[in-house]
Amino acid sequence: MAKTGKSLLYVAIALAAFVATSAAIHALLPPMIPKGVAAKLNFFTEHKDEFDTVVVGTSRLYYSVSPEIFDKVTRENGLPTRTFNFGIDGMHPPENFYVLEQILKTKPRNLKWVVLEMGDIQTKWDNILGTERAVYWHDWPHTAMTLKKALDPRGNAQWFIKITRLWLARRDFVSNLTLFGKQFTNVGRGADFFPSHDRERFLEADSELGPNHDGYRLAGDAMSTERATIFRQKLAQEVSEARPKFLDPATDQAYRSAAAQIRQAGAAPVFVVAPVLSQTAARFRQTPPAPLLSFNDSRKYPEFYDTKVRIDDAHLTREGAEQFTRLLAQEFARLVRQP
Amino acid sequence: MLFVEFRFFWFFLAVFAVYWSLRENRPRKIFLLICSYIFYAAWNWKFLFLLIASSALDYAVGMMLARTENPRTRRGWLIVSLCANLGTIAFFKYYNFFISSAAVLLAWLGLPASVHTLNIIIPVGVSFYTFHSMSYTIDVYRGKMRAVPSIIDVACFIGFFPQMVAGPIVRAAQFLPQLQSLRKFSDVDVRGALVLFLGGFIKKACIADAVSPFADRYFAAPGNFTAASAWLGVLFYAIQIYCDFSGYTDMAIACARLLGYELTMNFRFPYFAQNISDFWHRWHISLSSWLRDYLYIPLGGNRGPRWFVYRNIMITMLLGGLWHGGAWTFVIWGGLHGLALVVHREWQRRIERWPGAGAIMRWLAWPLTIYWVCVAWIFFRAVDLPHAFVALQSFVLLRSPGAEDLGAWMLWIVAALALVHWLNWRGWFAQWWRRIPAPAFAAGYGCAAAVVLLFIPPHYAPFIYFQF
Repeated sequence: MAKTGKSLLYVAIALAAFVATSAAIHALLPPMIPKGVAAKLNFFTEHKDEFDTVVVGTSRLYYSVSPEIFDKVTRENGLPTRTFNFGIDGMHPPENFYVLEQILKTKPRNLKWVVLEMGDIQTKWDNILGTERAVYWHDWPHTAMTLKKALDPRGNAQWFIKITRLWLARRDFVSNLTLFGKQFTNVGRGADFFPSHDRERFLEADSELGPNHDGYRLAGDAMSTERATIFRQKLAQEVSEARPKFLDPATDQAYRSAAAQIRQAGAAPVFVVAPVLSQTAARFRQTPPAPLLSFNDSRKYPEFYDTKVRIDDAHLTREGAEQFTRLLAQEFARLVRQP
Repeated sequence: MLFVEFRFFWFFLAVFAVYWSLRENRPRKIFLLICSYIFYAAWNWKFLFLLIASSALDYAVGMMLARTENPRTRRGWLIVSLCANLGTIAFFKYYNFFISSAAVLLAWLGLPASVHTLNIIIPVGVSFYTFHSMSYTIDVYRGKMRAVPSIIDVACFIGFFPQMVAGPIVRAAQFLPQLQSLRKFSDVDVRGALVLFLGGFIKKACIADAVSPFADRYFAAPGNFTAASAWLGVLFYAIQIYCDFSGYTDMAIACARLLGYELTMNFRFPYFAQNISDFWHRWHISLSSWLRDYLYIPLGGNRGPRWFVYRNIMITMLLGGLWHGGAWTFVIWGGLHGLALVVHREWQRRIERWPGAGAIMRWLAWPLTIYWVCVAWIFFRAVDLPHAFVALQSFVLLRSPGAEDLGAWMLWIVAALALVHWLNWRGWFAQWWRRIPAPAFAAGYGCAAAVVLLFIPPHYAPFIYFQF
């Protein structure tokens, strides 16, 4: 028995040393930011005081919000802004919350507004599992969001349903916990010490930032006729099935917390839903923590659902992006000027 | 489930804790068997039935061999086992190879044939566990060991998770007696096993996976690179395959040792071999000794006329190459090693008459051996034969088919790794950690593990030998 006790003590010592060393390395190293995100974050850090408005979201905003047009329209509406598009391909919640925190950590002195794209918290990362991109934001608070969502995806689960979900969502649990483990134990950070291909990095940074270095990149061409037909069919079905939906508790709480962080940084949050195929109107369970601009309504905004201005289910062409930016800027100016 | 994955850590921790908490040997073996099957099913549960069928068949053949003394009947049962095991490998690994090769041959003879290849998934570790399995029936047939009356023991030997998917290829005569006696935790060299595991983990995750992108880049399009890059690409592959495979083996041996079992040694610093024969006494020892005992010696071994022996060597090495997979590149790899073994034997025979050559060869032996091993690796790694010949030309004739460069600074990585390997060979890292007090060892191990994780890529790369 004494021998077993001793063995357990040694295991505990080894585990404690492991955790302490990992935590110490974690604290010493700068945050791990993958290349695509780093390109924008580095640029923003260097020019943070030049911008008062930041647009944070997925490719839906990345390719659809032109800061040049946005600032022009807001100026015409008596609300001059200087905007940076922080849209990043596939940056769904909770990754967007992590990036938002990094943006706010730079303490931009003139930041007044943060336009944050609304979306459900994702729990599956199969297509990027094992990449830096999946690992870097998996700190405990953001991993906990995914676990909470996996446990109660609709927001009405009783305790026994939650126990069942533990089994049903086991893959999500394991993959998110593994990613947390990798993030905490600094997996792969050794690569930071080796020489990088700087030239490639600069080229990539340039393309991520777009031609005007405002974070906006031009989108592609309109969808083909065949795809347009399918899109119209899918849209008709979406419209017929559209019902207002409450956000799940994890997502609801995460957006409330993001709004609080933005306010704490001295700025005001505005939530946006891009004109995507899904016609479901997301609602907060209680008073929304920030104004919400929803554009995913084909009856109210038919111009964004014309297949001539759409690349696919989620993205707009250049023409569509310009139209969308103008409307977003007008709505934004109207909203901000409201008492 | 890979040894370098986080989930394996939790899996093994659970296995370790439950296994040692069981007091009796039989429940332990049943538990180990269940865990081994869970481990295998984590890859593809459907192929678990193949593993179970293979174990059941060889158990039954073993029992039938034990029941009869009639040589013809015994031979018949052995043939059943060999046909089933080799038939399994032949179907999964070689069906497409033989069909497409036959089609090429027929077309060359002017008899074009329409052939259908199948989209076959090769069960992971099939070559390894069928060799485990065959060693059992052959040893029982030869009377080297008695048939084991417990199906649990036979299934546990064939499916034991640390060595099931990529070896080392354990002999029944070595492993089954271990299963039959109760393992004691007090006999386990925990410290040695932990150090071995960490060493294997470093080799696989920090070295093999770190150099593999460079080797992959070169071998994907060798025609685009300079001759210097060809050397780098081949050297990186030599490092990758050694660290990948010996890293896996170290981890497998360590896991088995933590459960109280000893597996066969598989590597003994092969890149320091002084000749090709020495190389095969150091590289994938469990396979080379298996092929020696179950193929080379039955073929006649060293007995008979010289050319007869050389024929045996060539057959053994060609089949050894083919064992790795159904591709001509593997056959050529085996052939090159066979050729080198024949040349080495012939050289040794002649050198006896000329003592001066011994002194020259002392200097040339190592570089010549490592050079030939690297040349052979080109065929082992190449995507296909045309790619292999481009890389070979570049490596041997120093011709640059392209202008792309892998980066000369990477030679420093090769040099650093070679230095560490040499120091390890000289015993610098051998036993000093045994002298540290246990609490300090535990703390140091925890710290070392945390630092090691810094240097592994965020993605898990499968072990190269899993495909075989």
